[in-house]
Amino acid sequence: MPDTLHILVAEDEPLAAMALEDFLTGKGFRVTLAQDGLEALERHRDDPADLVITDLRMPRMDGRALIRALRAQDASLPLLVMTGFLALEPGQDDLTADVWKPLEILRKPISPQVILETLARLMKPGGAAA
Amino acid sequence: MLGGLDSFFDSSGFIPHGVCLLWKPEVLALHVGADVLIGLSYYSIPIALLYFVLKRRDVAFSWVFWLFALFILACGTTHFFSVWTLWNADYALEGVVKGVTAVVSLLTAVALWLLMPKALALPSQTQLTAANQALHREIEIRRQAEQRYAGFFNNLVEGLFVVTVLPDGHFAFDTLNPAHSAATGLDPDCIRGRLVRDAVPHETAEAVIERYEACVAAGGPIDYEETLDLPIGKRTWHTVLVPVRDDTGRIVQILGSARDVTERKRLQEELVQTSKLATLGTLAAGMAHEMSQPLNIIRIWAESALSRLRDGEADMARLDKVLSIVADQTERMGKIIDHMRTFSRRDGSSTQLFNPADSVRAAVELVSNQFALENIVVTMDIADELLVTRGRPLQLEQVIVNLLSNAHDAIAEQRAATGGPRDGRIEVCMRCDPGQNSAVILLTDDGGGIDPDILPRIFDPFFTTKEVGKGSGLGLSIGYGIIDAMNGRIEAINIDHGDGRRGVRFIITLPVSRPSAQEMERAHA
Repeated sequence: MPDTLHILVAEDEPLAAMALEDFLTGKGFRVTLAQDGLEALERHRDDPADLVITDLRMPRMDGRALIRALRAQDASLPLLVMTGFLALEPGQDDLTADVWKPLEILRKPISPQVILETLARLMKPGGAAA
Repeated sequence: MLGGLDSFFDSSGFIPHGVCLLWKPEVLALHVGADVLIGLSYYSIPIALLYFVLKRRDVAFSWVFWLFALFILACGTTHFFSVWTLWNADYALEGVVKGVTAVVSLLTAVALWLLMPKALALPSQTQLTAANQALHREIEIRRQAEQRYAGFFNNLVEGLFVVTVLPDGHFAFDTLNPAHSAATGLDPDCIRGRLVRDAVPHETAEAVIERYEACVAAGGPIDYEETLDLPIGKRTWHTVLVPVRDDTGRIVQILGSARDVTERKRLQEELVQTSKLATLGTLAAGMAHEMSQPLNIIRIWAESALSRLRDGEADMARLDKVLSIVADQTERMGKIIDHMRTFSRRDGSSTQLFNPADSVRAAVELVSNQFALENIVVTMDIADELLVTRGRPLQLEQVIVNLLSNAHDAIAEQRAATGGPRDGRIEVCMRCDPGQNSAVILLTDDGGGIDPDILPRIFDPFFTTKEVGKGSGLGLSIGYGIIDAMNGRIEAINIDHGDGRRGVRFIITLPVSRPSAQEMERAHA
């Protein structure tokens, strides 16, 4: 895993975004923050990320819409979803489906150690698809 | 003078009337026979008349019957005299008899004509019979009515009682129906006419007399709920007292009805509890999200700091920052938990004075963050006036949260139906009328509105348009009950925002008053 890996974090809670930024930069990643889906798309367009971490519930454009947009652009971009929701609501995309891979879902509250392990799994060539 | 009378009655110059008949025996016999028969008949008629009058003391104008009797008696006498004068020429005496008869006849004739209008006015037998029948019908109708009312009185499950207000202001029991008798253990026969304070235990008497006095003072119906400790247990009654006035306007009676609402109150409380759970259910997902946010922040900061600490990279400034964040986030979670508590806890049984604006604000704060995540903006416009209403603050908060939750669902549903991501808007506004007697809470959404056909039914219990498992259909009906219990009103109308957006406006009207300093202190406590 190259230390210069660029991670884009889409999270509307500033303290949660800062926590991730602090932790990930401490681990040697380069981190870009976005407050919602639309901003994340802009950041990704200006400075493409190697991996995107996103929340689901966000104002303006939520995580699901962001994932759809990103997947449409790049079928192999690794995605890490963080969510506080327990249940999938009817009519929503089932993100565990194969079409969304490489994609991992973590339920909040998330341990930084688990984030590291998941990142490693996602970045391992072919790892997430297994 | 006497000599004059003697000469008047002297009949020596006259010849008997028989001479005129030439003493022909057959003519004489005819005259005598006819006159005697007429005389006898005439004499019998007054006897019959007098017998009738004496037997029927109630007969109208009985003096006329006396007059008739006298008149016919006089007529009869003239006929007997005609027989007498056939042989005895006492024509002067006969003249006197005729004179008397004439006077009596004249009197009778005049009296009869004078009496005619009155006699005609007397009801005829047919009329009397008809009137009699009408009376019988009336009696039958009244008897049936009485039976019906007695049926009500005796069979209603609602307790009914009548209290007499004595001129000295004391109260005495008049009667009570079997239902009230069964409920209170009072025997109608034992308490009739007895003073209330003597008929029931001292404590109960004091309580009810206070109510009776309040009813008399109010001069109109009053109603209240009272909980009485009875041999069958503690029961709650909804009682209505109605004063009854006599012609002079004095209140002479109090009619009372008492309904046992113990079961209903318990059921109502259960329904409120059920509705709370339903509301809690719809909010549970949002709550999980709310809780996961601060937990997530704490966990990442804490574990990250721990990791640095173990690696020997931690400095005091960083630890200070991380622990401050942790402390802040736990406080945030504490607030969420406080709100959750308000839903799970029973509200206590007594009402209090409180500022309704506080409940509205608390409700909006509870959901606004969660709604904002879904692009549903809740705006709040509350007039800055301190007014109080009577009720249970958490119940009002529950009503508002329920309305907000419904508005949210309507917007989300419309969004799903139209497909596109669209902003939702919920406006919460609170205003007082100029007289500051009532406060109006307006809650307006742009979720598309309610089908006018079902609008009148939305407050019915168990009425829901949500799919199975999504709504209990109790939220609005419970809300209605809560607002009603606060003597308020809740209604819903469809609103066209004019810019293509349509929605529903719920209007809650609550009675308010300006609090006294003491009440203000309590409302804030």
